[in-house]
Amino acid sequence: MTLSVQIEKSLGSKAGGASTDAIRADGFKLDVQFEAPAGFTILFGASGSGKSTTLKSVAGIVRPDSGCISIDEQVLFDSDQNIDVPIRSRGVGFVFQDLALFPHLTALANVEFGMSDLPRLERRRRAESMMEVLRISHTSWRKPRDVSGGEAQRIALARALSCKPRLLLLDEPLSAIDEATKLEIISDLKTLNRELCLPILYVTHNREEAASLGERVIVFERGRVVARGLPLEVFGVPVTTGVARLTGVENIFAGSIIEKSEADGTMRVDISDGAGLCRIDVPFGNQAVGEQVTVAVPSGDILLATEEPRSTTLRNRLRGRISAVEERTNRTVISVKSGVSWNASVTRQAVKELGLSEGKEVWLAFKTHSCYLLDQS
Amino acid sequence: MSEIDWFPLTLSLRVAFIATVFVVIIGVALGWLLARRRFFGRELLDATVTLPLVLPPTVLGYYLLVLLGRRSPFGQAIEAITGQPLVFSWRGAVVAAAIGALPLVVKTSRAAIAAVDTNLEDAARTLGQSEWRVFRRVTMPLASRGIVAAGMLAFARALGDFGATLMVAGNIPGRTQTAAIAIFDAAQAGRDRYALVLVLILSAVTLALVYTTNKLTAGR
Repeated sequence: MTLSVQIEKSLGSKAGGASTDAIRADGFKLDVQFEAPAGFTILFGASGSGKSTTLKSVAGIVRPDSGCISIDEQVLFDSDQNIDVPIRSRGVGFVFQDLALFPHLTALANVEFGMSDLPRLERRRRAESMMEVLRISHTSWRKPRDVSGGEAQRIALARALSCKPRLLLLDEPLSAIDEATKLEIISDLKTLNRELCLPILYVTHNREEAASLGERVIVFERGRVVARGLPLEVFGVPVTTGVARLTGVENIFAGSIIEKSEADGTMRVDISDGAGLCRIDVPFGNQAVGEQVTVAVPSGDILLATEEPRSTTLRNRLRGRISAVEERTNRTVISVKSGVSWNASVTRQAVKELGLSEGKEVWLAFKTHSCYLLDQS
Repeated sequence: MSEIDWFPLTLSLRVAFIATVFVVIIGVALGWLLARRRFFGRELLDATVTLPLVLPPTVLGYYLLVLLGRRSPFGQAIEAITGQPLVFSWRGAVVAAAIGALPLVVKTSRAAIAAVDTNLEDAARTLGQSEWRVFRRVTMPLASRGIVAAGMLAFARALGDFGATLMVAGNIPGRTQTAAIAIFDAAQAGRDRYALVLVLILSAVTLALVYTTNKLTAGR
């Protein structure tokens, strides 16, 4: 099964109804086109970039100004042919950002809700087995307000899947959940994905979520698709400063080119972050000496050492002092002051083995080709 | 007088009960329409259903008399179906009481329905539910406090209707004389004790209803 979407919609301050994720006082146009085969397709971007509106258009909750949405041969929406299949007939499972569990019903009744055409016993049996798979059987007789965030999230998922949808839409489903539960649910989602073989559209602005789901990513920016591909491709080579920031490349600096060496294939750049200066080598490009540039270095590409790494091919070697150590979901980010303030991602084990802590003197090292010159935008 | 005539009070209760059933069905439907649908003339409809609240009861009664009278097409149709005229019967009193209570039901249920999260309704739609089922299974249960409150207000209002009822149903003792009209009659005729009994009973019932309504709507 493949979902294909090509829609346009003006998102003014008036449009989109009671949308909560919108920073669109100025208004812009949503204009996107993509295909989603079975498996995860991650719609990635900042709040108000149009991802949620796209998801709601696919579900039929929001009506695009024009375009076409279809699953395989079946058209769900086509402005030219005047087709607009009502929400209830689209066969989509939708998990809302706030989950939208029915507060007046028990967890079990929530899961049974969409199967109202089945006989009562069959409905009960299916709901119970679905809840067992997701390990929430113990919540059956509780109301949504009496379950934990992770349980509520699974109830919403069970409810969406109970109607056997042809398409699963998840709108920032994990935004309100603690880190540990998040990882658990992500692994559940991966298992479900292998079993169900459905197109799953997953909206998020969290890079780690996107990266850990590990399939196709579509990056939204102000209503347009600005990048698409595997997480590594998309997040590894940022195209614009906007995407770089969104994808979590923590080291972005303004700088100017000092000298160029075509023979070496490098350029020397002075970068600054307002507080200090630093000189690094970047790949040779067509910029002129003296030109202003923006340089990005992914935090995962920076190597940390407690002694000077002399005999390596790494051209950029900087000496500095650790100013902060911050724990993240599955890595630790070390901030090092060396002229400018750098961020490097390392594993917890490495932190322990090297005894990395605040105030310690370290060396930073990274390849010339880990430095990306960004488009000015 | 030693024997108290309970007919006006039982008639009022019966009229108010039937009027409440009708006005809740119509009023909640209008409240839903106003809260959930965008259409041309929406606010004009809201203003129109509010009119019975502010118009003099005689004006309202006059409209109803003209609209439902034996010479109007509407009145004739009803007479043809039920075999008896609507005006100057207890059924006329039901219509007058229902129209008087309509604004309260529409306003209260519109507010209650508007307070229901539309995401929940959309969630029900994605689960294959028709508009009617979305209303019955999600919107109505979640707005139920407000809808019950609307019904109780409507009952209290219908119980006390005077002007419009007098115009449409008349003042026929033993047939269309409701409690509110009987109080007027008794006070005019100097039967003060009878008037006082009815006044106290109506006040007590209405106070209890409004008190409960306030409790219901404040408890969210």
